[in-house]
Amino acid sequence: MRKQQARAAWILAAPFLVLFLVFTAGPVLASLGMSFTDIKRTDIRTPFAVGFIGFDNYAQLLGDPLFRKVMVNTGLYVVLGVPLTMGLALAVAVMLNRIERLKGLFRVGYYLPVVTSIVAVSVVWKFLLRPEGGLINEALGLVGLPQPEWLDNPDLALPALVVMAAWRNLGSLMIIFLAGLQTIPDEVKEAAQVDGARGWDVFRRITLPMLKPTLLFGAVITSIGYLQFFEEAFVMTKGGPLDATRSVTFFTYDQFGYGNYGLAASASYLLFIAVVVLTYVQFKIFGEKD
Amino acid sequence: MRRPTRPARRFTGAVAVLAVAGLTLTACGRDSASEDGGPGQTDAISEGKASGTIEVWAMGTEGEELGDFVKDFESDNPEATVKVTAVPWEAAHDKLSNAIAAGETPDVSLIGTTWMGEFAEAGGLEPTPEGLVDEADFFEGPWGSTVVGDTSYGVPWYVETRVLYYRTDLAEKAGWSEAPQNWDELKQFATDLEKKAGAEYGMHLQPGQTGSWQTVLPFAWSNGASVTNEDGTEYTIDTPEMQEALEYYKSYFDEGLANDGTLDPGELESGFADGKYGAFISGPWHTGLVEDAGVKTDQYAVAPLPGKDSAPGTSFVGGGDLAVFADSDNKENAWKLVQWLSEPDVQSAWYETIGDLPAVKSAWESGELASDEQLQVFGQQLETTVAPPAVPSWEQVAAVIDADVEKAVKGAMPVDEAVKDMQSQAGSIGTGL
Repeated sequence: MRKQQARAAWILAAPFLVLFLVFTAGPVLASLGMSFTDIKRTDIRTPFAVGFIGFDNYAQLLGDPLFRKVMVNTGLYVVLGVPLTMGLALAVAVMLNRIERLKGLFRVGYYLPVVTSIVAVSVVWKFLLRPEGGLINEALGLVGLPQPEWLDNPDLALPALVVMAAWRNLGSLMIIFLAGLQTIPDEVKEAAQVDGARGWDVFRRITLPMLKPTLLFGAVITSIGYLQFFEEAFVMTKGGPLDATRSVTFFTYDQFGYGNYGLAASASYLLFIAVVVLTYVQFKIFGEKD
Repeated sequence: MRRPTRPARRFTGAVAVLAVAGLTLTACGRDSASEDGGPGQTDAISEGKASGTIEVWAMGTEGEELGDFVKDFESDNPEATVKVTAVPWEAAHDKLSNAIAAGETPDVSLIGTTWMGEFAEAGGLEPTPEGLVDEADFFEGPWGSTVVGDTSYGVPWYVETRVLYYRTDLAEKAGWSEAPQNWDELKQFATDLEKKAGAEYGMHLQPGQTGSWQTVLPFAWSNGASVTNEDGTEYTIDTPEMQEALEYYKSYFDEGLANDGTLDPGELESGFADGKYGAFISGPWHTGLVEDAGVKTDQYAVAPLPGKDSAPGTSFVGGGDLAVFADSDNKENAWKLVQWLSEPDVQSAWYETIGDLPAVKSAWESGELASDEQLQVFGQQLETTVAPPAVPSWEQVAAVIDADVEKAVKGAMPVDEAVKDMQSQAGSIGTGL
C-alpha cells in the first residue's frame, strides 16, 4: 500500500522533476562548470574541448578595473536605493493606514508604476530628465535652480536612476507594509497611549518593532532586485556616461554578447554570492533577536 | 528474456555514470597546436546549371525581397529551387550562432560584416572556392571583411560607407562653396559654420559610447593607423597615428565645435534641419532621414570624408557578405547562387529593387548609380575604405575603444593614456584567431 502511494507520488511529481532537472538544475550546473573554463563563442561546436582554468576567470574579474567599477555602482545603487525605497514606502503605508477617504485611489496610484513595463517607465523618465525641455529641468528653472544634464553627468546619472527606481518600486513595498501594519492590534497601541506614549513614541517603540519581520522581508526582496538592476540603465543611459550606470548584470550581459561565456558565467556567480551574503547579513541584523 | 536483478541494474547504472564522466573529462581541454594560418580556399566548383534545393537566410528588407528576386535564377536553373527565410536582424546573430553550434544551418546566409571573424573561427563557414569570383571586381575594403586569417569565407553582397553630410546653405553663408578637403579645412569649416552661419555646433561627432569607433577610426585610418597587424593575430592600436587622430577628434569637443552630450534618436536629424548642427558623418541611410526631418534636397550635400592632407580620407565600410556553411549538404549549388548574385547586372538590379549599394565595382558604371550625384559620392568614397578587422573579438575591442574615446573626449583621461589603455585591454583580450 505504502509502496503504491510512493510510486503514485513519484509519477505525479515526475513532470515537475524532469522539467526542473532539464531546464533549471541542468543549466545551473552547466553554467557553474562553464565559469571554471575559458569557453568562448567560437567553441560552440566543440563545447568540451575547452581549457579548465580553475578560478582564473574570477581572479581576472576581481582585477578588472571596469568590473570593480560596476561592483561599486551596483553597491551604491543598493545602498542608496533600498533605504530610500523602504523609507518612502513605509511613510506612504503609514499614511494610507490612517486615512479613511480615497484610500483605494492612492493605493492604485502608488501601485500603478509597479505594473507598468520597466522599459516604458524608463523611456518616459528619460524625457522627464532631458536637459532641455524636460519637465524636471523646466520646473527647476521656474524656481531659479540650476538645470543639470541629469543623464549626461557621471555624478548625477546613477542617483537619477535610483530616484526613478524608488518611485517605481515603492508600490509593492507599500502593499506589503500596509498588510504588516494591519496585523498590529489596536489594543497594543491603545495600551501604550494609556501609558502616556505620544504619536512618535508609539511609532518608534510599538509599530516599528512589531513590523520588523515585514521590514526584513521588504529589505531582502528589494536588495535582491536592486543588485540585479539592468533595464533602467540599458534603456536610459546604455551604461554611460563614463560607465557611471553600468551594473554587474549589465557587465555580464556585455560579456555574453562578446561571446566570453566562461567569464560571463563567473560574473553571474559573483553576483549570486553577493546576493547570498547580503541576505545573510540582513537576516543577522534584523532577524530573530527578540 | 531475463530481467537483470536489482543490484545488477544499479551496477550498470553506476558504470554508465562513470563512463559518461570519463568521456566528458577526457574530451576536455583544448587542442594545443592550432595550425598556422587558415585552411586554404576550397577547390573550384564545377561548371553547369545549379540543381536541388538551396536554403537561404537573409535579414531585414533583403530577406523580404530576395525570394521574389531569385525567380530569375530559378528560371535560368530549372532544376534548382531557392528557399528564402527572412530572419529579423535583432535575432540573426543568435540564430546563426545556434545553427552553427547545432550543425543545422541553411546553405547560404547573409552575414553582417563584423560577424565574419567569429563564425569563420567557430568552423561554421566554408572557404570560398578557387575562382568563384574575381577579387579585383570588388571594392577592396568590403572584400577585406570576408578575409579571416589568410582565407576568404564568402563574397561581399552589398556595402555602406560613411561620408560627410553638410548644410550647403549654411556653408555658403559661411563662405564655403565647396566641401572641405583636409583636416585643417574641416576644422575651419566647422568653425565658420558656427561663427559665421550661426550653427550651435559646427559638427556633430559622437562623444564616445556605442558605435563611436565607426567615426573615430576613419580619422585614424586616414592618418595611416591600422588596428591590427596584417594577418590579424595582434592588435596594434597604440601608434602615434592613432594618438594624433584621437587628439584631432577631441579638439572638436575642446573647442566647442561638437556637443559632448548624447543624442536621442531623431535629435541629430531635427537638429540638422533646424541648423543646430552644421555637418555630421554618416552612411547612405541618412539621406532619407534628413529629408524626412524637413531638410530640402538643395539645402544639403554629401562629400567624401576629408583626408589628413587631401580628400578622400579613408572611411568605414560595412554591409553584408554572403557565405556558405560548412554543414551545408548542397555547397556547390549554394556557391552558384552566390556567384549569380555577384554578377554586375544582378547587383544593379538588386540596387533597383531595394536600394542596397553594390559591392561589385562595375555595377556602378550604368543607370542611376552612374548618374546620381549623391550616389557617386558614395561610389567614390568606396574606393578608399577599410573594413573593421574580421577577428572574433572585434566587438569587444570596439567597446573598449568606445569607452576610452569617451574618457578622452570628456577629459577623464589624457589622449595618450586612453590610446595606451585601448592597446593594453585589446592586447589581453587577444584577436581570438
